[in-house]
Amino acid sequence: MLLEQIRHVAGGEILYLPQGGSLDGLVQTMRQAGTIVISGPCYINTWPARLLELLEMAARMGGFSGQKLYGIINGGMPYVHTHRHGLCCLEFFAERSGLSWQGGFVLGGGAMLDGRPLEKHMNSRKVVPAFAQFVRHIAEGSPTPDSLYEEAELHPGRLLTRFFAWLLSAMVVKRLKQHGHDPDAPNWYLGEHGRRY
Amino acid sequence: MTVIISDDSAGDWGRLLEEALSRAGTKSRHFAVNTLDIRPCSGCGSCSGKTYGRCIIPDDMQLLLPHIAACRTLVLLSPMVFGGVSHHVKRVMDRMSALGDPRYYLRDGELVKGMTGPGLRYYMVGIGNTSSAAERSAFLSLHEENRRIMDVEGRAFILDDVRDPAAMRQIAGEICCA
Repeated sequence: MLLEQIRHVAGGEILYLPQGGSLDGLVQTMRQAGTIVISGPCYINTWPARLLELLEMAARMGGFSGQKLYGIINGGMPYVHTHRHGLCCLEFFAERSGLSWQGGFVLGGGAMLDGRPLEKHMNSRKVVPAFAQFVRHIAEGSPTPDSLYEEAELHPGRLLTRFFAWLLSAMVVKRLKQHGHDPDAPNWYLGEHGRRY
Repeated sequence: MTVIISDDSAGDWGRLLEEALSRAGTKSRHFAVNTLDIRPCSGCGSCSGKTYGRCIIPDDMQLLLPHIAACRTLVLLSPMVFGGVSHHVKRVMDRMSALGDPRYYLRDGELVKGMTGPGLRYYMVGIGNTSSAAERSAFLSLHEENRRIMDVEGRAFILDDVRDPAAMRQIAGEICCA
């Protein structure tokens, strides 16, 4: 959905990261592009392993010549700091591989969108115009300031955060019970140990 | 028990740390993940739903997960790549979601998750001899974010020369004494 919005404004082609097999073809396509936008989910505070594998392979193969690089990292937590490593990672990749880092966008609370439009985001009033501005920077080929996503960060406050924790946990527990699981049972892999040793 | 997960693509680093820990009096188990068949997490959500606490991808991660679930101390040892860990080590981190508590908690006014079972100590060791100051800082920040979101204790180390026995000894000592 986010990439469709970029394509609508800036043009280009959307390619998907294959979960298996060779990444050579994708790296070749990246080399031929003038502008690259990398978008993906946040797994434990940075990109998933498969995307890191692509970056490692692209750095190893080389052959980049100043391509403009933008990034979008999208995760469940509403905070910027839990996602920021992903953008730092792209910046280091660009520095080491001869690309030109142009900045990125952190979309916290994005997992709850689950494929729906950005207008359904819980902080849409700020996120929608900020992301539109980000897309305009891509279309113009200009650097994007971190302030775009920083100012769109949701600050729910302690009371609302406590409510979110309760609500989200209640949804998780309901789902687990529907599948016949006890949320407080020892992990399946602990087997007969039942505890750390 | 201490479990060492290492990417030994560029050297026999995991064994060196295992030996240093042994000399410091800690028994550990070492897995060189670059030699194992560990596929990427597909984000299917089964481990937090239908097969709660269990990953359904049938590969070598099924051998690792019981050890990680049961260990008191987990050490991830990796070349520093773009201010983080290599994709080999990250595959393990991603797949560890099967050991996570899918519920949400409040810590210092923010949402966090956690790990199933109390008391895990979590360390990252980055081999950073070619890394910039900014990459080193990002590596330490990544560990701190991981530590907070998993709600565990531990710290990160950066090792410039893996063959420096004093530096390895110091890291082993800190891990043992914690």
